[in-house]
Amino acid sequence: MLRAAVALLIVILLGMAFHADGAFYKVGTHRDALRQASVYGILACGMTLVIVTGGIDLAVGSIVGFTAVCFSMMTIWWSWPWWISVPSALAIGAACGAVSGALVVWPRLQPFIATLAMMVFARGMAKTVSGGVKVSTALPTGDGTFRYVQVPELFRTIDSRILFGNLSMVTVVFLAIAAAAGVLLARHIWGRDLYAIGGNEEAARLSGLAVRRSKLLAYVACGLCAAVAGICQAAQEQQGDPEAGGGYELTAIAIVVIGGTNLMGGRGHMGLTLLGTITIGYLEKILSINAVPEAGRLMLTGVILVAAVLTQRRRRF
Amino acid sequence: MRRISKRFGATQVLRQVDLDVFAGEVHLLAGENGAGKSTLMKILAGTLTADAGVVEGSADVAVIYQELSLIPTMTVADNLFLGRMPATWGFVSMSEMARRSRELIDVDPYAHVGTLPIGARQRVEIAKAVSRNARVIVMDEPTSALTALEAAELFALIGALKSRGCGIVYITHKMEETEQIADRVTVLRDGQVVASCAAAELKRAELIRLMVGREVSEQFPLRQPVLGEERVRFPEFSVRAGEIVGLAGLRGAGASELLMSLFAAPRKAIAQGVAMLTSDRKTTGLVLSMSVTANCLMAGRRPVWRRPERERAEARGLADLLRLRAASLEMEARELSGGNQQKVALAKWIRTRPSLLLLDEPTRGIDVGAKQEIYQLMNEWSRQGMAILLISSELPELLALSDKVVVMRGGKVSAVLSKEESTPERVMEAAC
Amino acid sequence: MHRYFLTFLAAVLLAGCSRSVSNPAGEKVFTVGMSQCNLGEPWRVQMNADIEAAAKKHSNLRMVFKDAQNDTLKQRAHIEELVSAGVDAIIVSPKESQPLTEPVAKAYQAKIPVIVLDRAVQGDDFTCFIGADNKKIGKAAGEWLRNRLGPKATVVELKGLMTSVPGQDRNQGFRAGIEGSGIHVAFEADMKWLEPDARKEMESALARLSRIDAVYAHNDPGAHGAYLAAKAANRHREMIFVGIDALPHEGIAYVKQGILNATFQYPTGGAEAIETVLKILGGQQVPKTIVLGSRVFTAENADQGGESLP
Repeated sequence: MLRAAVALLIVILLGMAFHADGAFYKVGTHRDALRQASVYGILACGMTLVIVTGGIDLAVGSIVGFTAVCFSMMTIWWSWPWWISVPSALAIGAACGAVSGALVVWPRLQPFIATLAMMVFARGMAKTVSGGVKVSTALPTGDGTFRYVQVPELFRTIDSRILFGNLSMVTVVFLAIAAAAGVLLARHIWGRDLYAIGGNEEAARLSGLAVRRSKLLAYVACGLCAAVAGICQAAQEQQGDPEAGGGYELTAIAIVVIGGTNLMGGRGHMGLTLLGTITIGYLEKILSINAVPEAGRLMLTGVILVAAVLTQRRRRF
Repeated sequence: MRRISKRFGATQVLRQVDLDVFAGEVHLLAGENGAGKSTLMKILAGTLTADAGVVEGSADVAVIYQELSLIPTMTVADNLFLGRMPATWGFVSMSEMARRSRELIDVDPYAHVGTLPIGARQRVEIAKAVSRNARVIVMDEPTSALTALEAAELFALIGALKSRGCGIVYITHKMEETEQIADRVTVLRDGQVVASCAAAELKRAELIRLMVGREVSEQFPLRQPVLGEERVRFPEFSVRAGEIVGLAGLRGAGASELLMSLFAAPRKAIAQGVAMLTSDRKTTGLVLSMSVTANCLMAGRRPVWRRPERERAEARGLADLLRLRAASLEMEARELSGGNQQKVALAKWIRTRPSLLLLDEPTRGIDVGAKQEIYQLMNEWSRQGMAILLISSELPELLALSDKVVVMRGGKVSAVLSKEESTPERVMEAAC
Repeated sequence: MHRYFLTFLAAVLLAGCSRSVSNPAGEKVFTVGMSQCNLGEPWRVQMNADIEAAAKKHSNLRMVFKDAQNDTLKQRAHIEELVSAGVDAIIVSPKESQPLTEPVAKAYQAKIPVIVLDRAVQGDDFTCFIGADNKKIGKAAGEWLRNRLGPKATVVELKGLMTSVPGQDRNQGFRAGIEGSGIHVAFEADMKWLEPDARKEMESALARLSRIDAVYAHNDPGAHGAYLAAKAANRHREMIFVGIDALPHEGIAYVKQGILNATFQYPTGGAEAIETVLKILGGQQVPKTIVLGSRVFTAENADQGGESLP
């Protein structure tokens, strides 16, 4: 826990050193840093569950795109109420996760391969369903012209702020998911089983754990988190972009790793992922307010990633 | 090696240890788990550096580890010549490699190591050491995974190595091997040399006393079995409550498979009161990255939401029952010694209150003291009415513990011997 | 592996198509191949849509579309397939100039007319290049802002990818357009053409600058993202938002909804490409280069189809 905080501390010190004419000290900067990291963080929560089992889920970015498109169609085009559209979008994400999980569990595909297939497939689904264009408030009428509708109230609610405008709603969603996933991982029997599976799958099986069911559920939970992220993404963009979430899976994995969760499985903690999310969020924000060019950002992010993982490493004889 | 000392954190693992290995001798290194044998060998081989002391000639040392250090996905020849393959311009000459491989060892050079039986793998490893001109070969419990036949082959090989002038450092927990092959013995206890002399001068009881530091009878506990109802039935024999049935047979004779057949669907089997201690605690028994507590509570009924307080209390109770020695129950299972790891694996199964306990090599690779404790526990459990089915490659142990010995050959039961009938000769006769 | 299989399958299917069929009216039907470099971009989707719409008006045209999925080698293979399938004309919108020069030249030497759309290839072994001028459009946007802002105005520039030629051109053109006006670009950042990234960068700009008079984004989604950030900070009324591309369902829609103040069209040239193909197949001469004009869309003129730029 302490080691994960080292990386965050370094990043915050970096922010204090390069505060961009005091912009770093504004409340809004911190609120925005957390807002932009929230979608990544939600993905990282699900990713942590999968990585603890020793797996990986490359499909989450594509599931963000797919659910963002589906959710936008349901709310903008068909005006479904939230209590139908939100559960439906979540169900779609969970179903994608279930397919990845089933491929990992039954034909015993390597998680990398199974979820790589799902990553490509879900992106294809997003493009198919949307017809390759963004699902926005400009509705195609069929003859090449467009009809314009209002942005759904649900989008505005998700993209709103609370606490006198000092905390974004998506950050609240992220923290809620991190708390729920954290409690499940630390206290629920399922979470404990995920650690056992990641630590030694054969020993877990021989101890009578429902290895396949637990693993499948980890991928379902990961898909579910991706769907929540997709809903947040759509609301923040006010549209369903079939390209949304491209590359987000790598950011999510980076967050989990920066937190200190072991990619080999069996070790990790949701608190670490929370710290990793905030670290990445602040890093991006500091680079952004200082208007660092893209090339520099990529290099600095790589350096911080390695530094964070190195500070994490335990000393062993 | 002269005056070797080594400290890990707060623990002084080795104190001023001297060890001489002469050409053409088998030097037995004895000691309980945690006495510092492995650390000493790592220093000898140069994988660890001593805090103080001198090692002479460590470049010529090869270590045959318990966990074999071959690459299972590569061929025998690849493994033998790893890092120094015969090559021109970087292109490996397969035929040359195969030819030289055949000179060294009578195993198909193109066979993948992972497909070979353990005994053959060990021979490959020894051949690798020999081909690298090792003058001292360290064997860390080489027979722990071998059948009697394979062990005999190994001893023949050791004889050949001796006559070629190799010095061999031999580590084992099997007392009878001591008398069979050792020329000299050095006993380590708590990181210090307590004795070093010719093997012939040291009697077995004396050796044990030196290792443990107190009197330990190597006697197996006496038991008066009280048999109850039948717990599992095979065509040829059955196991009753309160009974310990031993399964004997060469490796591959089907004894492990027989146990596994009772535990093919673990969830179902556990629900029916079956528990199975697997033969390899590291790969199939424990989750080494998890705490002792978590490992103890892994099988059987568990509450849906964890309660750390209650878990600690339950693990504490199990640890006391099994006389588990761990600095903390929150430490990772990997940090425990072999004997204590085995106790954790046993604790996990005892917690499920099984009516039938399957034990596959319960005393493999653990020291004399821990063995004794496990024998007593088995005794205790069978008195409480548990049925136990036991596999052990140490025949004296198997014969002493079992009320009935079932001998297997080629996947079939070849003999069922009562306590009185089961002599080593009759068992071997039925097994071969 | 599957990629090669699909390519192979496509080649077989194409080769199986008979080359000179007639339509019900008895005219000869021409097959035109369209090699698109990446259908992941809405603007390129629009280009294909424009081509398809224009081709539908002519019963003697049959289109074959290919999507190289942002893969130069795949696009090369697509062009070679179209040549061996013996299409009557090829329209290609290249991913990269240099690597596609050779396959285009080979097609041209095989006497197949090749129309190069949007991005040029090197040399002159092609029939006709149709494209718009990003520098000109960027300059027009700069001049448009110059006419609406005071001399000390503060502008945020949200750039596409500065490693891409369109990004560089839209940046240079814009700077030329505001040159000497006193307008000051106080914050610039790379938003990689992506709306979420544009929103992030705009949030930073808002944190740093107490007054922003205008936002110039290299594409409309970027401008939209900037608007959302400003709106969340309740500062959207203090500034003007200008984007580029003017796709019907993006930029033009945003202008009509009052989100953007102006968007500058980057024409796809789809309709012009079909027009040119018909001219060539009809035996007419066409110019080697056609530069497309741009249009600006504002709240006042969007319903009338925008206003042509000089």
